[in-house]
Amino acid sequence: MDAPVAAGRYRLADDPEVCIVLASVGLACCALEVDSAIRTGVLVPERGATEARHTVLLVSGTVTDALAPAVVRIASQLPQPVSVVSFGACASTGGPYWDAPTVTKGIDQLLPVSTYVPGCPPRPEALVAALLGAVGAARP
Amino acid sequence: MSADLPAPSQARGVIGLVASACTSCMICVRECPTWCITLDSHTEQVDEPGARRPRSVNVLDAFAIDYGLCMYCGICVEVCPFEALFWSPEYEYSEVRIADLLHDKTRLGQWFETVPDFEPLEAGSEVKVKKVPR
Repeated sequence: MDAPVAAGRYRLADDPEVCIVLASVGLACCALEVDSAIRTGVLVPERGATEARHTVLLVSGTVTDALAPAVVRIASQLPQPVSVVSFGACASTGGPYWDAPTVTKGIDQLLPVSTYVPGCPPRPEALVAALLGAVGAARP
Repeated sequence: MSADLPAPSQARGVIGLVASACTSCMICVRECPTWCITLDSHTEQVDEPGARRPRSVNVLDAFAIDYGLCMYCGICVEVCPFEALFWSPEYEYSEVRIADLLHDKTRLGQWFETVPDFEPLEAGSEVKVKKVPR
């Protein structure tokens, strides 16, 4: 099974110096907030030739056990090193589905996560704040 | 908070606690759909002059909300009969360690400091009983 992934280069409106490759795995409603971050302009698509120095895998939404291997596969295919951002309660802990047998109780069981964004869903601005944190932690 | 896009004052960002108003009644804990609230308390006997017997008082020992689990439904805020829980629009508290998303009584009390006043309702609508205690 393949997970829906949208990859692209983005700049952060709060810190335009930062250009990242954002691989967004949108598995549930949190993906709408990621979309909203792009549409409201807090994440700006980069159309120039700027080379992105950071790769961020953004996992938003409920990760089911059936989809978990696909998410791990995407993480391994991205240019390393990858900062994994867990966006929303479902990706962080399973959220409201924490006692469901088919739901992965947090993507951190499979991948090392650099930032957990709380919310159900988190605000788009919270995504940018978390991305800045993740990129800042990955800086040499 | 981003200056360009401030969160609306009624936004469900984080829940603040007024520990002095909490009577440890456990209603929020039982109503929470994701069971993300932890509460611990003990009972103390308070002697009052003139009373026939000591009065039992619940003392709140621990109150924590796990924001890794919370689904921000606001049921705890709605059901609290003693007006101890309030929404704050703050949202920037992502963490590097998942365990740090468990906010204890002190942290929830700090969040209460950021709770804004309720916005006035439209003319003719029912008066809101709940007020933010300052």
